[in-house]
Amino acid sequence: MPEVKKLSDGIFEVIKDKKHLATKNLDPGKAVYGEKLIPVQETEYRTWDPRRSKLGAMVLKKFNISLKENSKVLYLGAASGTTVSHVSDIVSEGAVYAVEFAPRSMRDLIRLASRRKNIHPILADAGKPDSYSHLVEPVDLIFQDVAQPNQAEIAARNAIRFLKRDGYLLLSIKARSIDTAANPKEVFKAEVKKLEQAFEPGFEILNAKDLKPYHEDHLGVLAKLR
Amino acid sequence: MKINTWFGTLETDIVGEILESRLLSKDIRKLALHSLSLRESRSNLPPEGFDLKAAAIKSGFAESPAEYYFLLHEVTLEAAKLQVSSAITPDQRIIQAVEALDDVNETTNALSERLSEWYGGYFPESGLGGEDLALFIVKYGSRENVSSEDPLYSKARNSMGAKLEPADEALIKDFAESVLSLYERRRQIEVYIENSMEQVAPNLKHIAGPMLGARLISLAGSLKKLAEFPSSTIQVIGASKALFKHLRARAPSPKHGIIYSHPLVNTAPWWLRGKVARAVASKLSLAARIDFYSGEKDPSLIEKLEAKVLQIRTLNPRPPQKKQESGAKLKKRRRK
Repeated sequence: MPEVKKLSDGIFEVIKDKKHLATKNLDPGKAVYGEKLIPVQETEYRTWDPRRSKLGAMVLKKFNISLKENSKVLYLGAASGTTVSHVSDIVSEGAVYAVEFAPRSMRDLIRLASRRKNIHPILADAGKPDSYSHLVEPVDLIFQDVAQPNQAEIAARNAIRFLKRDGYLLLSIKARSIDTAANPKEVFKAEVKKLEQAFEPGFEILNAKDLKPYHEDHLGVLAKLR
Repeated sequence: MKINTWFGTLETDIVGEILESRLLSKDIRKLALHSLSLRESRSNLPPEGFDLKAAAIKSGFAESPAEYYFLLHEVTLEAAKLQVSSAITPDQRIIQAVEALDDVNETTNALSERLSEWYGGYFPESGLGGEDLALFIVKYGSRENVSSEDPLYSKARNSMGAKLEPADEALIKDFAESVLSLYERRRQIEVYIENSMEQVAPNLKHIAGPMLGARLISLAGSLKKLAEFPSSTIQVIGASKALFKHLRARAPSPKHGIIYSHPLVNTAPWWLRGKVARAVASKLSLAARIDFYSGEKDPSLIEKLEAKVLQIRTLNPRPPQKKQESGAKLKKRRRK
């Protein structure tokens, strides 16, 4: 019998042969992207590979994700939905607004969303929150993984529009997509500064950590509006 | 204050109380189309932090949060599907064709090599390769069947190759047929790309040729993106490794990316390559822009390009002399 340890609401560590990060499968019997399914008594767990998911890496890096079963999440840069599927597992009674710009990725995301009723797919540019403001309610968490040079600005625009006063922003910053030539440490410093000061009211940075060894040259940031 | 939402239009007072609402019917398709129509809207946006769900319930659109989310889910899904199905534009089709062509080429070469290796054991003197070999095998099978009119007749008679058993012969013949059909597919795709390029990007096709033009669109991601690139980017598309090495370290900047395959660039003498590549890239950029924004064919573009290249050639007829002095200085500096 695999051993299960709860890490936080909806996030578990399942030990079967080795430790796996996992979420409870909202769509039992179905794997989304080839991940392992581990049944434990009545529940089925889906393993979550931190090397394929920045959010997964942040969980293992002890970021306080603070998601509840009925949380509302705005997910910017949903891609094909591998990580979105785990968020959907965690907020089983809530909602995930999954914004993605590339039609090719949206194709996979639609297939995922048609099986999970808490995912609301939105094909739009995360840099233009006005274009989906008629769809998105105030949220408890914005997770952003967009790999754009103006990530800080995108985060700010969305947070001002959609983030609840007590909500959190989780951000994955990819150094290479901001400046291919510069030293990642310098890039991180500059981006964190932008988050704190470049707009009103600014973010308060609660945690900022390198996502090594799961992702190279990525910084995870947890912040809230000041 | 007027507020546009995916389920209708609301009229609210200063504190956000709903005074009046014009709600849409719960028809998923209509709601999805309405939602898509609001994407570009810059007025009557919900204010920051506006609770759409609460408003939907208060105004009577949805009876409960559960119903709200159910409808929202269906509507966003439907809208996204509509967007995805309209995303396959003609330039996207060209990109698929270019990528398919690359795959076909790779496979054809691998299988062709296999065929020549395989058949070589039975008729090593044939001297045939590629499509010719495949045709030969499909026609005759074993070299014993070569007709006396065929120029390879005497070679086939006196070959040192092994005897081809019937079972092997059948296998190799079928294999050769598959290879042949791949060559055919290649031509078919090339014709398709040529025709599509004439319709989608006639100027680009005229300047770059259909294959290079299609490859440029493919590497850029779309005709729109290619049209938005500065010509300096177009000059080095396909040389990203060299470009980033240049940006990160002290490597020289690349003179050309895939536009190297342009006849004007690859026939230029080495000391003019960079200059010619720059001229070609600038006209390619213009061509892509005309194709994307106006679509009219401008035959003067290629003439201007040819004139420009001629000018570059006449102005720089000889390779530049290496400057002894500056070279010496550089060495000195390095020694420090």
